[in-house]
Amino acid sequence: MTPDSPRPNPHGGAGPSGGAGPSGGAGPASGWADRFADELLRLGVQPPRARRLAEETTQQAAECATAPDALFGPAHLYARHLITELNTAALNPTALNPTAFNPTALNPAVPKAGAGPSGGAIDPGDVRLRLTGVGKRYRRRTIFAGVNLTVRAGEVAAIVGANGCGKSTLLRICASLTRPSSGTVQRTRRVGFVPQDGGTAGWLTADEHFTLFGAAAGVAPRRARSTGEHLAGRLAWRPSRDQLTQHLSGGTRQKLNLVLGELHSPDLLLLDEPYQGFDQGTYLSFWQQILAWRDAGKAVVVVTHLLHDLQHVNQVHDLGATA
Amino acid sequence: MVTPPRPWLHGFLDLCLLAMLRERPDYGYGLAQRLAAAGVADVPGGTLYPALLRLEQQGWVEPSWHPSESGPRRKYYAVTESGQATLNAQAAEWHRFRDGIDQLVAAGAPR
Repeated sequence: MTPDSPRPNPHGGAGPSGGAGPSGGAGPASGWADRFADELLRLGVQPPRARRLAEETTQQAAECATAPDALFGPAHLYARHLITELNTAALNPTALNPTAFNPTALNPAVPKAGAGPSGGAIDPGDVRLRLTGVGKRYRRRTIFAGVNLTVRAGEVAAIVGANGCGKSTLLRICASLTRPSSGTVQRTRRVGFVPQDGGTAGWLTADEHFTLFGAAAGVAPRRARSTGEHLAGRLAWRPSRDQLTQHLSGGTRQKLNLVLGELHSPDLLLLDEPYQGFDQGTYLSFWQQILAWRDAGKAVVVVTHLLHDLQHVNQVHDLGATA
Repeated sequence: MVTPPRPWLHGFLDLCLLAMLRERPDYGYGLAQRLAAAGVADVPGGTLYPALLRLEQQGWVEPSWHPSESGPRRKYYAVTESGQATLNAQAAEWHRFRDGIDQLVAAGAPR
């Protein structure tokens, strides 16, 4: 689906840069436009519109005499950003022109301006995870029982509870890594799981992790690396080319974990206290990241024992209370 | 170059764009330069172009393609009638907001 090497495919219509050709010429630019269009299609944009948006975006970069990736960042990330922007157009408090195109707000947490059926790419409030009567026993001992939890697109759910009440086990059940003793789990296919620790290989560099985890999700190496580096940047981390993961600090390793969980753009993110060893600044950007995911229509489940985190979440499931 | 905290600009970018386009039709890069020259902000492309598409999608501006002497053709935007109405409403809102802030800032200021 994603072209690995740039195809010799000059994009039609939008006449490629005549004189003031920015860096690299048409080759890398059309690769970027293809990746951009691919991601738009994946997000549910109709093909003609995706093509038009890709052409226009290429043109915009050309008029700034900049390569598209320098102006907009990685193609697929900009595609998601653009769709989010266009879908929140109706948030502007201008009811002056009721005939104008007026898509519904994506995010149920934001007050809606114009109501109406969604024309957006992401259906608001789709159920991404549903646990029904889920329980877990080890031999005779019941860890928890009867857990019901529904998490929709654009929601953050927190699982709280004392040590040993089975928070991590419940999250592994959500990820289908552990089988529940009772009850059912329904969830979206594209899921990202960030364990509390582990999950990385000490003898690989960050880039090699990006490539490896990308390959597992069908993402081309170059795209996996650029995505990984971009996501790392949001956590104020610039991975060095040749540093092995075993030489990273604990906090930085957790950043790597977090980036790997998001690398393939999952619809549902499962996070198990992924902030061990984060300093204060990183911790704050971590929560900002969660809110950004939420606003982009992802469903997020985060295990935490820090109650002051909970001001931002849509629902809290206290596992200790149901045990 | 001025870079105000993002939330400030975020609320008023549409207003700024509509106002500049009422003065004269322009294309993306030209608008970015005018915003910077006015000392309002250096708006990154990833913020500016989605905003222009949003305005277009809402029927507030109308695009047209024009060739340029150097390089690729450009997409110029002009304000539509409904864009004009939106601009008037947003400008009134801005004035109320600005006067309110002015009043609060001036109230406790030493003379």
